[in-house]
Amino acid sequence: MSLDDFVAFSSEVTGFTEFDLLGTGQAQSYRDTVAGVVGEQGLAELLSAYRREVTELSDEQLRAEQLTRSVLGDPRLGPLARNIIKLWYCGVWFGLPGHEDTFTASPQAYPQGLLWYAIGANPPGARAPGYGSWAGPPRIPALPASPIPRSLTRNPSAG
Amino acid sequence: MTSQTQLLDRPLPAEIDTVADLEAYLNAALRLEHATIPPYLTALYSLHPGTNSDARHVIRVVAVEEMLHLTLVANVMNAIGRRVDLTADDFVPAYPAHLPSGETDFLVSVQPFSPAAVTTFLNIERPAKAPSEGRRLLPYSDDLGAGTVLAASPLNPGVRFYSIGEFYAEIDRGLRHLDHEYRQRGEELFSGDPAWQVTEEYFYSGGGEVVPVTDLASALRALTLIAEQGEGLGGGIYDGEGELSHYYRFEQIQLARYYQKGDVAARPSGPRLDVDFSAVYPVAIDTELADYPAGTPAFEAAETFSRTYADFLAYLTAAYHGQPHQLLDAVAWMFRLRDDMNRLIRNPFPGRPGVHASPVFGRGPLERS
Amino acid sequence: MIFPEGASARTSPAAVAGRVYDVVIVGAGIAGAVIADRLSREGRSVLVLEAAPAEDLTIKGYEAYLTDFYAAASKDNQSPYPVIEPVPMPRSTDARPIRPGGPNTNGYLVQNGPHSTDTTYTRVLGGTTMHWEGKILRMLPQDFELAEQRGQGPKWPLGYADLEPFYREAEREIGVSADIEDQRYLGLTYPPNYVFPMRGLPPSYLDQMVARGVDGTRVELDGEEFSLKVRPFPQGRNGIPNPAYDAGRGFVPVGAVSTSQVDEGERCQGNNNCVPLCPVQAKYHAGKTLAKALDRNVDLLAQSVAYQVHTDPETGRVTQIEYRHYHDPNSAEYQTGFARGRTYVLATNAIENARLMLASGLQSRSDLVGRNLMDHAYLLTWALLPEIAGTMRGTNCTSGIVDLRGGRFRRDQASFSIDIHNDGWGWPTGAPVSDLVRIVDQNTYGFDLRRSLVDQVSRQLLFAHMIEVLAEPENRVTVDPRYRDRLGNMRPVISFRVPDYTMRGAAFARRLSRQLFERLGAQDHTSYDPSEYGYVEFEGEGYRILGGNHLAGTHIMGTSPGTSVVDDNQRSWEHENLYLVGGGSMPTIGTANTTVTATALCLRTARHLLHELRHQDQPVALATH
Repeated sequence: MSLDDFVAFSSEVTGFTEFDLLGTGQAQSYRDTVAGVVGEQGLAELLSAYRREVTELSDEQLRAEQLTRSVLGDPRLGPLARNIIKLWYCGVWFGLPGHEDTFTASPQAYPQGLLWYAIGANPPGARAPGYGSWAGPPRIPALPASPIPRSLTRNPSAG
Repeated sequence: MTSQTQLLDRPLPAEIDTVADLEAYLNAALRLEHATIPPYLTALYSLHPGTNSDARHVIRVVAVEEMLHLTLVANVMNAIGRRVDLTADDFVPAYPAHLPSGETDFLVSVQPFSPAAVTTFLNIERPAKAPSEGRRLLPYSDDLGAGTVLAASPLNPGVRFYSIGEFYAEIDRGLRHLDHEYRQRGEELFSGDPAWQVTEEYFYSGGGEVVPVTDLASALRALTLIAEQGEGLGGGIYDGEGELSHYYRFEQIQLARYYQKGDVAARPSGPRLDVDFSAVYPVAIDTELADYPAGTPAFEAAETFSRTYADFLAYLTAAYHGQPHQLLDAVAWMFRLRDDMNRLIRNPFPGRPGVHASPVFGRGPLERS
Repeated sequence: MIFPEGASARTSPAAVAGRVYDVVIVGAGIAGAVIADRLSREGRSVLVLEAAPAEDLTIKGYEAYLTDFYAAASKDNQSPYPVIEPVPMPRSTDARPIRPGGPNTNGYLVQNGPHSTDTTYTRVLGGTTMHWEGKILRMLPQDFELAEQRGQGPKWPLGYADLEPFYREAEREIGVSADIEDQRYLGLTYPPNYVFPMRGLPPSYLDQMVARGVDGTRVELDGEEFSLKVRPFPQGRNGIPNPAYDAGRGFVPVGAVSTSQVDEGERCQGNNNCVPLCPVQAKYHAGKTLAKALDRNVDLLAQSVAYQVHTDPETGRVTQIEYRHYHDPNSAEYQTGFARGRTYVLATNAIENARLMLASGLQSRSDLVGRNLMDHAYLLTWALLPEIAGTMRGTNCTSGIVDLRGGRFRRDQASFSIDIHNDGWGWPTGAPVSDLVRIVDQNTYGFDLRRSLVDQVSRQLLFAHMIEVLAEPENRVTVDPRYRDRLGNMRPVISFRVPDYTMRGAAFARRLSRQLFERLGAQDHTSYDPSEYGYVEFEGEGYRILGGNHLAGTHIMGTSPGTSVVDDNQRSWEHENLYLVGGGSMPTIGTANTTVTATALCLRTARHLLHELRHQDQPVALATH
């Protein structure tokens, strides 16, 4: 499975655009981290299920139901999918049954955690916002226009 | 040589004759100081995070001090009661821009960190004094293409200065000349509102301190600080405040060793400095918005960044226009721009394999439509 | 701040063996650093023994701490600092409830209980100032007179007025940011025209929101009425220099330390990571003082763990310090060395100073070495505010409520200060990562996830009540030959019970926070789990008391050898040329983080030592003239 597939799936489940995800510089590292733990096969199963069950649906409501049922709700794929979300959000791969080790994907993963970006803050110790910036209200970034990854809606063959 | 009394006896040939001339020169100085910031920032953020600590700190400090220089020129402009405007259409240069370095000029690009970039940085900061009075101003010989010509004479488009140092020397002469002339008429050249001066309280740079300008002495001090931070004091490697000058800071990267107190030029004896030119995002060089395929997320992000940068310049303009406390937020602005640039730089350039996206620095209303 | 290149390796055990220094200092934290700095200013020769490895302080070395912090899956307050065999250190992750039948020997501290503490200190160059928060309150004048005024705690041999000039000196050394008008309350006084070196850090958006709800709240306690107000704390980190400082001479902030010029850290950037590591060194750490000292006649011998203080049995004078020097941080192999000086200063910290004295068989006749161990008791309460408060931004803590630091009630119950934590519920719950995990595990994803995070993290409010703990002889550090570290040093054995006096303060704090949450319209989410360490039951209600890393009291100062270990100069009553310095000398800790008071005491000791050394030199000096 290509990096683009991984990023497209990640975009939909994290709620960040593919551009934002690539903008962390961590996409390849995260893909390799996931494949390193569950194997290329394990990752491919997840991404195939997503492509097969979700990507063709254009109705957002249907899409959400299907993603919840077929991916997040799947006893095998669900834990993996949730772990990928967590990885993007805080850089940590959490131990799973059969893969108990909890670790940070790389030292540079943590500073790119989307968790803090999502709430208009900085990961403690990284991406400093500047003296006194804390005195004003948080700048919480707006959500993208659509939850559907852009590569799946526009000229998908160009990917 | 350039003390005021000598100037009175035998005036050096100065181009600056009126306050309007001086204003034109200060505007050119603002453009010049600003023009180095996009290349420094782009090189800085092209470094892979977690690598190149030495180079990162060297470039970061210089970039921050270029902001200081911009502020120092703004202080001089405000001191003579003229308006600072960083929002003009041509304020941000078209890159590659031309800068003088002695007999030849060179091109400044917005490019990733590389040996070529370091050479450019050294060229920007290189000390150079014209060999004779007659060589201070040189006619252009080459076809200059589309790039902006920096440190040209704003009064005579056909000539440029021998070096940035000579360009500032001209402002120095002009200030002395005009101050003298005003005094003789019983007038005050430095008639600007002192409350508009940016003081230390409002502007923080890691290195030198901002100089509030209220008279000739403080104006010359501000300009001296710019020159010394760039090229050192009296041929030495340090400036008057004991800070290593920019030229020698960059030379450390080339020589892979830090300078320390007591060292002389070209012979640093401090700790080793490590550079990894491979740990760099290969960002596109001298990118224009038009280079991005329309409709791509990278195009949209570059456009947004460009607009944000133009807004930042407008914000600074307001700060220099009697709102110096606004500069306290400039650091937060810079950090937001840092995050935006990083996001862009880590994305591939659409349709150019092996090349990464690069920021476009907003150039006023022309690019805003 | 330039660190003199090569200074960390200027001496060796062999070179040290052949010298008699004016002063031998054990420990390169803030206490040892300021004393070394002041002594060296007058040309005194000083040896600093440091247990941890020490290379020249460089920006790259510092960034290695940061990288380790980034890489750590558990980001506790010791996570940036390497764990090495020869120099173990306490870690909050080692704390466990203590079960009947034996101590918890899980971590470096051997804990007898009954209370299990998660208190820590950092054994690296620069000591615990590497990870300290940098909130830096002076003790109140009444804190020095608690015994006289309220009949509580041991007596101090000196008062606020005696220490005030040294507080100012400490505030210069550390570089304190605060606005003087915010820091005049409960009798805190300053000389006319005094201002702090730098302006106060702006209160966070969260602080401002809390202030709108809390300011003006009336509280009655022991017949006295208090009006509460959210107030900024003084900070040991760089802010905007105050041009009025030092009679108009201003102040130049001290930034990052390295062997080359770096120009970083002259101003706080709001990294919200004061604990465990300020990434830009805007926060003070003792390396800034060490860099100055090492540029003079100061030797640093690292990887040298003090093992025993040797004394002359006749005179009680210290003759030498035996240390164990290891070559390899990954091995417990060592060689024994001896350091000699005219005077000795133990500047490790309250636990390690006592541990070393007791391991050396040097219990005082008063039997007070190791006793009276104190640390602030932290009670946390947390709630969700009704609107977005922008939590997780700023320095760790910019403001708090300090009105209950003093009052008549102290005759019955502990005083406390309330910190408003800009890092939300992180301390008790592990937020915001724990929130992320919980929300994602509910299969919330995408936009809903982003919205939920804003909703559940950006509204978090945490009050940390820093509650006074008084000296109790049974709260103590001992040693036991059964418990040794890999280098053969006896480990500290801690016995600690949270005093009822403190718990009465805690119970009041809990009630007050319920009241404040109600005023704020905030939903109380506080809960204390009886199965977790630190759980305390008091008068039928459960609490969780956490450690404050403000260790004190194990060699308290006083006016007589029968009631104290050291005199007002921190000089041992029984060992004329030995000084036990730092928080351990404090008879009370009030509601102030201990560092600035300990530093002020050390600056006073440094002045005394200079005087003593000059006095000792006098006959020689006369002879040479």
